[in-house]
Amino acid sequence: MSVRRLGAPRPAHVRAREDGRPLAIGDARVEATPEEWVVEDRWWTGRSLRRRYFELILEGGRNVVVFRDLGGGDWFEQRS
Amino acid sequence: MTACVLYLRFALLAALDGRAELLGVPVALAPDPGGRQVVGEVSAAAETFGIAAGMRVGEALARCPELRLVPPDPEGMRSAWGRVLDRLGGIGAECESDRAGVAYFQVGGLRGLHGGRAEGVLAAARRVVGRAARLGCGPSRFASYAAALQARPRPRRRGGTGAPRGRPAIGGRPAIAADGSIVVPDAAVGAFLAPLPVTLLRTRPELAELPEVLERLGIRTLGELAALPAPAMAERFGHPGLLALDLARGRDTPLEPRRPPEPVGERIDLPEAASGPQLERALELLLARVLARRERRGRTVRALGMSARFVEGGTWRTRVTLRQPSAESDRIRTALVTRLAELPAPAESLGLEVEAFGPPAHDQGRLLGDSPAMVRRRRIADAVGQARQAAGAEAALRVLEIDPGSRLPERRAVLAPFEAGDADGSGR
Repeated sequence: MSVRRLGAPRPAHVRAREDGRPLAIGDARVEATPEEWVVEDRWWTGRSLRRRYFELILEGGRNVVVFRDLGGGDWFEQRS
Repeated sequence: MTACVLYLRFALLAALDGRAELLGVPVALAPDPGGRQVVGEVSAAAETFGIAAGMRVGEALARCPELRLVPPDPEGMRSAWGRVLDRLGGIGAECESDRAGVAYFQVGGLRGLHGGRAEGVLAAARRVVGRAARLGCGPSRFASYAAALQARPRPRRRGGTGAPRGRPAIGGRPAIAADGSIVVPDAAVGAFLAPLPVTLLRTRPELAELPEVLERLGIRTLGELAALPAPAMAERFGHPGLLALDLARGRDTPLEPRRPPEPVGERIDLPEAASGPQLERALELLLARVLARRERRGRTVRALGMSARFVEGGTWRTRVTLRQPSAESDRIRTALVTRLAELPAPAESLGLEVEAFGPPAHDQGRLLGDSPAMVRRRRIADAVGQARQAAGAEAALRVLEIDPGSRLPERRAVLAPFEAGDADGSGR
């Protein structure tokens, strides 16, 4: 029986505005962005990690957290 | 060779309780009391209106306003099927039967008793199961079921010239006996199964989903399925695919005959529609009687069947399997009482029957009582074991915090196997 990581990031399809803020996740429009923050970690190693997180409220009321990997530019959804 | 005894619409026949003439009119089993509002087995006359088992009652009545609904009788069905199995046991057959209406047994060991041929064994079976049953015989369980499904019971000939009509197995073709039963020899099984639809695989619960996928892929008959290479089936469908391939090629898993349960049961008539505490008292009394039965011979009880007959007709039955075999009245009662709440209607009688015995009772009390924490830990370990038995090794996991303060959510916790020692009494 293996150990499974909880809260692992899952790739997400995000449409974003020019300023980098999400407009829609998949087909669901973003209603509000209550919070956003940046995490920089492991900068002291050769594999530094930089993420721009957004807490979003989608149309229909769903609350999700997504981030953009500022290194590779990909979007991910993550349970915070 | 394996023989199959098949009664179509056995549950409906049992519920009609001798009113077999109703099978000629549109009739269906009413929904289980308190269950989903769908009809059960339906008569052939009802099928002609497009009514099928599992259809919503409203839709069924819209299709045929004359449809008669008969309350199901699980208790009657169980005892009727038990009688059929007993009669088959009487000719020496060791039956495997997972559901009422279908039984399998090996023919090989019985040939010597019944004339040396499979047809002789089927004729003996026919004498004890009656003409309503369909009989088939083949090299595997699945092939025998397919044969029984194709067999058409023939009425007894009156005033004939004596020689029974039938067709012997010639050139690898199945033999058809005078009573309509079919014997598929080893050499003919491939050709016999080949034209049959893959939907026949649904008779195996573990393959219920497979035929739909196969049909989407254009594989409609067992012959087309049998021609597929095993590695491709294994890669696409895993174990179910290989099992389906085996079945289509005339192979099957070995039969597992089960010993019929010893009838140790008690029934009590309730003077008036009882409920709540009165039902619990009745259950207590029944349990005391069952545990006092001499046939128990000091053994523990592993599973019980609780049944009720309703004031307004129809019956109800539920099976209770104990987490641990026990002969302690209090422990068994606790397990049973919760099921009493499921009784959907006022009952006129309540029954309790032992369905499976456990090992002899030799519980020895502990010298020192366990602490509540130890009892709790043991119970949780039992529950985890049961859950893993039922749902696999990953049925019980726990969240293990690795770095709860991390700013990266994926580093905070992992799912790890639950160990009995995790239940430390701290209320986690």
